[in-house]
Amino acid sequence: MERLSFVATPLQAGDWAFVFENAGYLLGGTAITIVLTVASVLLGFLVGFPAGAIEVYGGRYSAGVVSTAGVVLRGTPILVILIVLFFVVSIDSAFLAAILGLGLRSAAYQSQIFRGAIQSVDSGQIEAARSVGMSQLKAIRHVVVPQSLRRSVPGFQNEFTIVLKDTSIAFAIGLAELLSRSYDLFVQQTTAVLEIVLFASAIYFVLTFSTNRALDRLADAYAIPGGETA
Amino acid sequence: MDRRTYLKTTGGAVTGISLAGCLGGLGGGDDSEIVAGTAPGFPPFEMKEGGDLVGFDVDLLSAVVEETDYTLADEWEEFEFDSLIPALQNDRIDVIAAAMTIEPGREETIAFSDPYYDANQSVLVSEDASVDWQSLEDLEGATVGAQSGTTGESVVESELIEPGIIAQGDYNTYDNYVLGVEDLENGNVDALVLDVPVAETFASERAVTVAFTHETNEQYGFGLRQGEEELQTALNDGLATVRDSGRYDELVDEWFGN
Repeated sequence: MERLSFVATPLQAGDWAFVFENAGYLLGGTAITIVLTVASVLLGFLVGFPAGAIEVYGGRYSAGVVSTAGVVLRGTPILVILIVLFFVVSIDSAFLAAILGLGLRSAAYQSQIFRGAIQSVDSGQIEAARSVGMSQLKAIRHVVVPQSLRRSVPGFQNEFTIVLKDTSIAFAIGLAELLSRSYDLFVQQTTAVLEIVLFASAIYFVLTFSTNRALDRLADAYAIPGGETA
Repeated sequence: MDRRTYLKTTGGAVTGISLAGCLGGLGGGDDSEIVAGTAPGFPPFEMKEGGDLVGFDVDLLSAVVEETDYTLADEWEEFEFDSLIPALQNDRIDVIAAAMTIEPGREETIAFSDPYYDANQSVLVSEDASVDWQSLEDLEGATVGAQSGTTGESVVESELIEPGIIAQGDYNTYDNYVLGVEDLENGNVDALVLDVPVAETFASERAVTVAFTHETNEQYGFGLRQGEEELQTALNDGLATVRDSGRYDELVDEWFGN
């Protein structure tokens, strides 16, 4: 048996030179990736947090509607969601369709992150808040929400990472971000596949790592001294 | 169900819905301006160079439209190959120029211009492979790859898997041929089925070689919506003019001449 070489394609200097020549093109794709991710995660938060709260505190009807919508969104592949929004609902701009698709699906996942975090706050605390004269809404707002937000940071970090990488699927509706642009490049210079993929992976890693670190800092900054942590 | 099947299903659903006439086209704008769509990543027909879309299809369609009363929008729309037909159905684009084979399955949903290129398929193998394959029958028991949604894929499905020459599990599908070529060089797949000019491009750049060519007797055409006879006639006349003037041969030399 022959000795297996570590990498099948030798890393050629020419290929790295090609990658760096086209770094601007890839960074342009990165910008699209970032905007798409930030907008989607934000939409996911704005819809997902209330949705999680409704699932815990809502009446039978409202909680039922929200949880059914969540089940449908979580059970549908993101590719199908995007294609339906773009080609069937006929949203004019691919960018808008991608943000809406990724954002709503993210909302469905985030609602469960927040639902778990809300339920993790001991129900005795609500009783205590009510007994000192707070209304149900006030008790939730001032006692439960601050704690549950802190406890949902780890789950939120996960969700951010998932959305970041799923932006690549938007090429199905004609939106070329970092990964699609990487494809364009290695079609141009087919020997540079490994180098381009490594470069794109490095960008994804930097984005994921720095965001997660920033969220860690945020969690530390707002940690309750001596309080229960997630 | 894998990704591709989902796409086919959703594509089918989308087509069904659009045929049912539920969708208002985007319409508006100048009626004589047409928007072209393609799926880059298929050299030398369409690929990106320095961020710009180039290729035989791009130049040919531009030359053809120049001969008509229509004008081509400066910006081409780019999609994955599988999304092109839904995009056409939804009026997002008016013409597909993406090395698309004229085949009965596609003709159920869209119309085509006259053919502009013969779509024969090459079987690509690694240079290190010591095989002497002359025809599809010789591929028995081999692992074979093709790009999702292409004629190569339909050849694999109808002429290799259905007759039982290879098992369904021995077929690899790729988003992009470059990844298939990568697999071929690394020995993860024994053969790739792809269009002749594309295979020749790879054979000249990578450690792969064309084992044999499979005549499909199929041809490429520009994809159009059904019922748009005016545009279809204009493109066909334009294509004839481009062929007669020698411009077509110039483009063939430019993109396929070695």
